Amino acid sequence: MNRILLVARRDFRQVIATRAFKVTLLFVPVMLGLVMAATSFLRPPSTVAYVMADAGGSTATAVERRLKLDYQRQVLRDLSAYAARWNLPQPGGSRYGYQADDTAVEDFIAQGGAETALKGMHPPPDATSFKPPPLPYVRVPVPKDVPVDQGPAAFGAAIAPYLASDIQTPEGKRPLAVAVYVASGGPARLWTNGRNGNALIDTIQEERTRQLRLALLSANGVTPVAAARIEGIEAPLLVTAPPAGGGRSQLVVRSIVPLVLVYLLLMSSLITGGMMLQGVIDERSNRLLEAVLACVEPRELMLGKLIGLGAVGLTILMAWIGCALLAAFSMEGVVADYLRPSLAALNQPWMLPVLAFYFFCGYLILAMIYLTIGSLSNSLQDAQVYLMPVTMAILLPVMLMVQASITNPGSWLPGVMSWIPIYTPFAMLARLGGGVPAWEMAATGLLLAAFVALELVLLGRVFRASLLSAGQPLGWGGFVKQMLRRD
Amino acid sequence: MTAALVLDGVVKRFGNFTAVDGLSFTVPDGTIFGFLGGNGAGKTTSVRMMLDILRPDAGRIEVLGRAPSRANARQIGFLPEERGLYRLMTVLDTVVYFGRLKGLAAADATKRAVALIERLGLGQWTCIPLEKLSKGMSQKVQLATALVNAPRLLILDEPFSGLDPVNQGILEEIVREAARDGATVIFSTHVMQHAERLADRLLLLARGHKIFEGTQEEARARLPPRLLLTAQTDPSALPGIKSTRVIRDGGDGWRQWDVTLSPGQEAAGLLQHCTANGFVLRGFELARPSLHDVFVHLMGGPLTEEKP
Repeated sequence: MNRILLVARRDFRQVIATRAFKVTLLFVPVMLGLVMAATSFLRPPSTVAYVMADAGGSTATAVERRLKLDYQRQVLRDLSAYAARWNLPQPGGSRYGYQADDTAVEDFIAQGGAETALKGMHPPPDATSFKPPPLPYVRVPVPKDVPVDQGPAAFGAAIAPYLASDIQTPEGKRPLAVAVYVASGGPARLWTNGRNGNALIDTIQEERTRQLRLALLSANGVTPVAAARIEGIEAPLLVTAPPAGGGRSQLVVRSIVPLVLVYLLLMSSLITGGMMLQGVIDERSNRLLEAVLACVEPRELMLGKLIGLGAVGLTILMAWIGCALLAAFSMEGVVADYLRPSLAALNQPWMLPVLAFYFFCGYLILAMIYLTIGSLSNSLQDAQVYLMPVTMAILLPVMLMVQASITNPGSWLPGVMSWIPIYTPFAMLARLGGGVPAWEMAATGLLLAAFVALELVLLGRVFRASLLSAGQPLGWGGFVKQMLRRD
Repeated sequence: MTAALVLDGVVKRFGNFTAVDGLSFTVPDGTIFGFLGGNGAGKTTSVRMMLDILRPDAGRIEVLGRAPSRANARQIGFLPEERGLYRLMTVLDTVVYFGRLKGLAAADATKRAVALIERLGLGQWTCIPLEKLSKGMSQKVQLATALVNAPRLLILDEPFSGLDPVNQGILEEIVREAARDGATVIFSTHVMQHAERLADRLLLLARGHKIFEGTQEEARARLPPRLLLTAQTDPSALPGIKSTRVIRDGGDGWRQWDVTLSPGQEAAGLLQHCTANGFVLRGFELARPSLHDVFVHLMGGPLTEEKP
């Protein structure tokens, strides 16, 4: 076997036998699981309860109707997104539209709601089942020990303990978010638990305002029918929106995989770079390099390490990606909804080789830097002299760029960074989802390849010259001198 | 006799410091060659140039008839002065790894490694990671990595440092065995007793310069001959005597004298003169100088810092 591969195999086998490697391998899956568990555990309850003491009854009825219509409008929208995702006919044909008005929603309800609509859509067997969104507010009767006929003060005092805890609802025990007391002819009094009731308060205010307007219109001689018509009027809106996961959201969605790859490249390169650094420092401090160098050229040692630890990085990466895909595809819901269209970014035949190229170059750039730092250092403490500025110089701009790509996919920063070879792999990975002109990809690719070759030559010189050196770590001046010195 | 190693006018500089300065010598095939010198004499730098770990700034090096390169690794065994091994690798894996780096096939390397490990008394530690071994055992493993390819040229840089007397004896025996099997052995040391026991030929290096090259007898000949005479009369007046010194009083007028002869004067001639001229002697003993004495003389100061 080639000596380079022998070195690579030894380094690979040594690293994968360590506990640190196993911990690293499990790190992402475990963290992913913990985050999912924590998210699920910490998520606020989706359905909350409210009570309403309404002597007249009209406010309670109006609020209930409004909540029902708003909820069914949301069901209709979700159903529409579901239809787009599985290429099914839109619920009710196209008559409901994106922003269905009250009449359309009432029609939807009258036709049997989501259940009937789904039957007409004929989802294929492999489609996930449609899950309507949870009901945001559910009205429960006023507890028996809360007086509804002794004025708002007595009602408020009696309901206060209920607002501090959960209350029984048809959905199970839920937090009591809002308690409403509507005195006939007077203002509505509301008590909240301070967390969950803002949208409900808005709805109550809107409905009460509507009632007051109706009363005012009637008092000014408008017939009740005309007044109701005036109050019920809604400006028609014809909204044209791309299907879920399309349009501008498509840009973001298609950038998910490349952006995740930026993070993965960064993490796996930094982890394997750290291993490489530790390995070379160990070899230097264990004084075994001389024996190895009697058998292999420094260049072979360098390449062997790059390949061996590259294989370690690849193993980690594959394990992480595998776990992420497994988790995503075994789940239903938002993650899976976004993952499928984001993977569509990989459909282009040139995409995988391009991703591999940027990944390979990105790894080489970082690994070579770490390898050289290792060869210059007698201990991790020595290495810190170089490590901190180098890591910060890479990490901060890349994190900034990723953030910019997420918040504004059209940001100028990734474009500029694409032309700085040390950042090219990260910037181009981040931009791939949004599309990059072919000429720019070719030009930055060539620049990147030339930079990697130059880095291998220059840092390779420092690596070779520093392997057996002893004493104080090289200063920056000495470092540059070593780079420029021919063998 | 062909030469296993030739250095011809080799110079190596590190910045303004000249570590090896015009070094020339030849190591004949099949000899045990002692490469002697104090710390900083240039021994390790020379060894690294022989192995192509360092390149000379001037001069020519020939190893087994070729320029130094990793292509020679198949025929060279090397034990560096600074020793260390991969702590997490097992004894067997380590020896096999170095065998493979030197070009042995996997099966061959394993077979030889197993045999060597047994021979060095490490059989029960074969599958144990090196971090669990004592320093002495680790050094044996390192020696196995040098020997696994049955080298034609064995280069040992300060091989005895850090070894206890028992293991030093074992190592000396291994060196002799390798030489008996036809290998050329070059070992650097600053402990003269090892060189005295092992080396056919010697080279003394000081501050990068060659001070001496030759056999042990040739080295000793560099010192004026000395005798231990027991007589009642001061031998200073005898011909060919450079200096005398009383070293012991034997009683009844007999004294033991440390006698240094003039350069070129032979002890046998002095004995003949004493016999012919009635100079009464009770003792006439040739004082054979140690290599240590020779090199202190050549260097103008002490060399050995470590007892064997």
